[in-house]
Amino acid sequence: MAQLDRRDFLKLVGVGAGGAATGCYRASELPEQLIPYVVQPEEVTPGLAIFYASTCTECSAGCGLHVRVREGRPVKLEGNPDHPINQGALCARGQAGIGRSYSPDRIQKPQQRQSDGSYQPLSWEDATQLLAAKVRAAGSKTRVFGGRVGPTLSGLIDQWIAAVGAGARLVYEPFGYEALAAASREVFGVDGEPTFDLRDTDYVIDFGGDFLDAGRSPVEHQRQLKAAREVLSEGGKRARLVYVGPRQSTTTSNADTWIAARPGTEGLVALGIAKVVFDARQSAGRATGGDAALIASVLGRFDAATVAKASGVSAEQIQRIGSEFAAAERAVALPPGPALSSRRAVAANGAVLLLNAVVGAVGRNVSVSRRPESEHPTATLLEVVSLIEAAKKGDVSVLLVHDSNPLYSLPGPVHFAEALEKVDFVVSFASIWDETSKQADLILPDHTPLESWGDAAPRAGVRSLIQPSLRPLYDTQALGDTLLETARALGASGLPDGSFRGVVEAEWSGGNWRKALARGGEWNALAPSGASVAQSVANLRFEAPELQGSGDFVLLANPSPLLFDGRGANLPWLQETPDPVTKVAWQSWAEISSAAAEKMGIHEGDVVSVQTTIGAVELPVFPRGGLRDDVVAIAVGQGHTVGSFASADGSARGVSVISILPALTDESGGRAWLTAAASVTPTGAHRRLPNAQRDDNKRGRQLGEAITLAAFAEGKWNADAFVAAGAADGAGPGGGHEDGKFHEMLKPFEAKNDSTAESEYRWGMTIDLDSCSGCSACVVACAIENNIPNVGEEGMLRNRGMQWLRIERFVGDGDQELIVGRKPTYNHEKLEDTDVRHSPMLCQQCGAAPCEPVCPVLATYHNEEGLNGMIYNRCIGTRYCSNNCPYKVRRYNWFDYAIERLPEPSRLMLNPDVTVRSQGVMEKCTFCIQRVQGARQLAKDEFRPIADGEVTPACAQSCPSQAISFGNLKDDKSQVVKRADENRGRAYHALHMLNTRPGITYLAKLIRGEEKHG
Amino acid sequence: MTPPPAESVAAMIRPAPKPPDSKVNRDLLRVMDGAGPGYWLLLLIAAGSVGAAGAVWFYQVYKGLGIAGYAHPVFWGAYIVTFVFWVGIAHAGTLISAILFLFRAKWRNAINRSAEAMTVMAVLTAAQFLGIHVGRMWKSYFILPYPNQRGLWVNFKSPLLWDTVAISTYATISILFLFVGLIPDLAIARDRFSGWRKLLYTLLAGGWQGTSRQWKAHNRTVLHLSGLATPLVLSVHSVVSWDFAISIVPGWHATIFAPYFVAGAIFSGFAMVLTVMIPVRRIFGLEEYITDYHFENMSRFILLTSIIVGYAYLAEYYVAWYSGVEAEQSAFWLRAFGPYWISTWVMIIFNGVLPQLLWISKLRTNVPFLFVLSVLINIGMWFERYVIIIGGLSREYDPAVWGVYTPNAAELTIVAGSFGLFAMLFLIFIKLFPVIAISEIKELVIHEKTHGADH
Repeated sequence: MAQLDRRDFLKLVGVGAGGAATGCYRASELPEQLIPYVVQPEEVTPGLAIFYASTCTECSAGCGLHVRVREGRPVKLEGNPDHPINQGALCARGQAGIGRSYSPDRIQKPQQRQSDGSYQPLSWEDATQLLAAKVRAAGSKTRVFGGRVGPTLSGLIDQWIAAVGAGARLVYEPFGYEALAAASREVFGVDGEPTFDLRDTDYVIDFGGDFLDAGRSPVEHQRQLKAAREVLSEGGKRARLVYVGPRQSTTTSNADTWIAARPGTEGLVALGIAKVVFDARQSAGRATGGDAALIASVLGRFDAATVAKASGVSAEQIQRIGSEFAAAERAVALPPGPALSSRRAVAANGAVLLLNAVVGAVGRNVSVSRRPESEHPTATLLEVVSLIEAAKKGDVSVLLVHDSNPLYSLPGPVHFAEALEKVDFVVSFASIWDETSKQADLILPDHTPLESWGDAAPRAGVRSLIQPSLRPLYDTQALGDTLLETARALGASGLPDGSFRGVVEAEWSGGNWRKALARGGEWNALAPSGASVAQSVANLRFEAPELQGSGDFVLLANPSPLLFDGRGANLPWLQETPDPVTKVAWQSWAEISSAAAEKMGIHEGDVVSVQTTIGAVELPVFPRGGLRDDVVAIAVGQGHTVGSFASADGSARGVSVISILPALTDESGGRAWLTAAASVTPTGAHRRLPNAQRDDNKRGRQLGEAITLAAFAEGKWNADAFVAAGAADGAGPGGGHEDGKFHEMLKPFEAKNDSTAESEYRWGMTIDLDSCSGCSACVVACAIENNIPNVGEEGMLRNRGMQWLRIERFVGDGDQELIVGRKPTYNHEKLEDTDVRHSPMLCQQCGAAPCEPVCPVLATYHNEEGLNGMIYNRCIGTRYCSNNCPYKVRRYNWFDYAIERLPEPSRLMLNPDVTVRSQGVMEKCTFCIQRVQGARQLAKDEFRPIADGEVTPACAQSCPSQAISFGNLKDDKSQVVKRADENRGRAYHALHMLNTRPGITYLAKLIRGEEKHG
Repeated sequence: MTPPPAESVAAMIRPAPKPPDSKVNRDLLRVMDGAGPGYWLLLLIAAGSVGAAGAVWFYQVYKGLGIAGYAHPVFWGAYIVTFVFWVGIAHAGTLISAILFLFRAKWRNAINRSAEAMTVMAVLTAAQFLGIHVGRMWKSYFILPYPNQRGLWVNFKSPLLWDTVAISTYATISILFLFVGLIPDLAIARDRFSGWRKLLYTLLAGGWQGTSRQWKAHNRTVLHLSGLATPLVLSVHSVVSWDFAISIVPGWHATIFAPYFVAGAIFSGFAMVLTVMIPVRRIFGLEEYITDYHFENMSRFILLTSIIVGYAYLAEYYVAWYSGVEAEQSAFWLRAFGPYWISTWVMIIFNGVLPQLLWISKLRTNVPFLFVLSVLINIGMWFERYVIIIGGLSREYDPAVWGVYTPNAAELTIVAGSFGLFAMLFLIFIKLFPVIAISEIKELVIHEKTHGADH
């Protein structure tokens, strides 16, 4: 029966064509030989990619995917341009998600753990019978514990539980938003998580939600915010962003103002601002979001002075932000994220919702709606603890764990491991080995998302479909099918017939199934639903939270923008991509303020012991200026002991901050993260951190430039410096040379002349640093598109990372630092300073490329379209090109990375359009030349030139804020030229003084500073 | 065409006469006799380090260059440093043989053979690094411009190609020069030795009889080769310096590089001649042939080139400051005060400051002092290249990707092996071939007898 299902699936979906042609089912029977199609599947043309619309499951944002499939193998995940959430972009985590299917740690078949710890494979039939027998015996002592899944699967699980008479199910997310839902219940009387829409906003205050990197829907919010902030020369929108939080995160570095309030007091700051707004609006006779008397009574005691005292923020600043916020037309406040979820998280979230209500954002940018009946609410930590208690008492006989790794993600004090031991029979549905599945008695591997059917409902009005694009690589079975089979074996009634795929199709039968398959789902624009402030708001206790334990520091466990809650730790691209803030890869680090480090006499890499009441972890320290002195921050995500990439050969890679967090909850029982005070003591040991960029001082060089709004408005920029307005396109004055005479080196140039006269194209890029948030989505997209290997911690320690594209991060203009006899300072951040420039650095495709003349074997050369080509199999590895590249964007294969770092079956995901480089070969970015060539073939067939927008390199495609434009510089109407022209006043070329004639024009970041809104 | 003179034909068919036995012959050929345990021990150590380096190199080819200490952005490391070092060493030989020959500086005769031999060995040692350094040495023939079925050509703009041409030309001329100069001495050796050595020398001597006609041809060949080799002395290291000067790396990109490198090369070459000849003179008792006068002359050369090199160091700093280019300024600043400050100060003190002691005339003939100084200069010159190459690369234009490089054990083994290779070749050479040009010394002896000493 199961085999027939797969046959159906193959026929209908038309994927796994290779498998279909050879007519076999199991991985073990895969043919060894590569043979051409005898009967070519109708939809497959070798060499051409097929795209399948699906949905990303890496977080709950539910971005739409276009899975690029080549000859039956998904090779890249791209954003679905039609999808309302991400509109074609995809974040780093989403991009890397493709690696789950090709992980060397895939669980390849169902297996049962023996008493001696070994695993005994068994057939799916036997496994189903075994599970059925256990469930039959356990009855209501059967419990299901899992992560958030799509509505159809979730519904099926609920049905299954009812049918087999199992006990209550828990949906647990480590970074759940229970506090937000609870706050909505209290403030508006509406049970559900409000959604935030930043479209056309002109003022955003983020109360530590880190919404650009680790929030609810980072891609969507990034795109919306950056669109709202786009400043064109004809005067555009200028949304301001204020960040309230103790640590300079990626989001902070995109803000105009950063208020480093005492951690946990963000809610109080929100109330202080709300009071200012409330007073202003009330005196202006405007609506204040509900019963004025009620709101006045709540806000009454939060005048600026009181709030200032509690939060450490100056009263003037609260006043000023408040009045700016009140004056804004479409202001939005965003709630705290997991890192700042304290034991008063509901109150803090409530305060932010109240501020939104007061400023009139609710029903406009904030939509408050009831949770759909079908949606299973996420469990609070209290509920999880009660399950654990039940297990310890022996009230749980069978525990089914799916889409979750509780052994890693639950705090130590709940003793989940002990509970697991008490449970007779633990069943794991993991598709990749993790800490929890290693402890399971029966492992029934699920398909990976790329092999599965399913759906997602990220928010009201959006239903997104998950369809398989890869024939299952191993002997796995969809969770839904396993449940259906088990129920059948139990003889339970009330469940649908057929396979899980049928269930999904039935769920979607209301709409047009074929159309949904093609589009990736169905969505319609819903007007945001509003609500007014309810009486229950008075129940909230607004106060600064208590911390457990004593210690000079507040322990901040912030979500990693890349590894998130740890689920990304086994994806090598996410480990290899440097953290957008500290640029550390593959390791854990403890951030403390530079002042605190100085006081302790420790430097970067010195190992410290961070101690809470629960325990201590030892990890290298990373002193920063961008952190409050009373905070020690450790990112969540590392410290795994299982996984080829997540662990260091079976021992923990880095440390897990979760292991020293107390199991404390907020008012509603949701998990609180900001709960512990910690002490930090140097251990005397040292461990060098593998960081890709050590120094954030740009030393005044022409990289990561910034310009104030005022200077931009005047149209003059850096008159003293050499880069002047117009240097980008040859017009305008040379800096400091008003008489129109240029120094030889500083002559403006026409980048479009750097292709041959006959060529119709000169490929170029415009990168807007004001849009770039530093999120690193492009880095991962580039790595996957171009088969860039990872080099691991060992390699990163020697700066041998292979990524063709890096995000450089500079703080301010820097200085030359020519000082003798002083330990160099690497970190120049300052508290409440947001002048951080993120500058994507990739091959500049120079017109006068320094790398080209020095290659003795012509392995790198200038092509007729102005690109700096690279012929890998001609390269002998003298490495002179890299020495002579001022941008240092060339990377060298020190080892046979493509073989050593791609364990089976990872090589199945290599992009067949891009050469895999061997040991001893130099490599670099060529603006995704394979995509250019692909578009050229299509255009040639139609006897036309390549149209603008037809070619998009992987980096530009994935960018959530559309910071990168790519196109033909010879086409005056192309996006890339228009964007540089419109922003002429802030265009520059990296290291212009070297006269390399780059094909990339950068647009300087705009410093909006403290200037008044409007 | 006139027939050959009768006596030479007769000489060819007559059994060779008893070899002439002069004191010079005895003294100088004695070096080639037998070998004590000390010799074999030295040879074993040298060969052992070559073997170790060979094993490391083999592993490196198999595994990848990653076993060396390279770290982005420093893509040239100890291998290129040592390559430039050996090319530099190779300079003294041709300078002594060719240029001093043309200038008729007679004092060269005592040291020219060993200097020429050093040249050949140093070039051969340096050439190894071209293969060791490239990532795909099995494809390194791609760099040779010859018509091929791959339809590939080379890039004549690349200084690395110039380098290949310059080094191979230099190696060819040096080997020819050494060989031509050896012929009369090989004939002497042929007449003295028996067994396999006789066969070897017979073959190499090519029927040298010492007739005036042969001498005439020989002298003309030497003269022409000197003429050919003279520009090479200047060109080879100029080309090697262009490997750096042509680039845009701060600290490399300087017009001063060619004379700076040539002076440095002669400087280190003479130092190496001292380092090698002082022990050789001592061990083989050649004090009569290699005299203090020679040492003094070499000291003067060292002093002169040290001044040039020292000037270049100062000029680089001046130009960096004067240029106003931030990257250039900070590169030089960080050279002196950054992570490579030890290397920089070693270079400045050993090459620029210590040799100034040679102004004191007594020290110029103080053999122990000269030996120590020459070793320090060799060390200093290795560090000079280290500072230029690594210091330049690690601190370039983009501060986001600055890095620090330190050679690791694999590289140091190969670097040590290169010294081993040089030593091994030299040890073999002194036992196989006359280390002092016998015929030229004789010429001098006769000259002195007839005209009296000219010094």
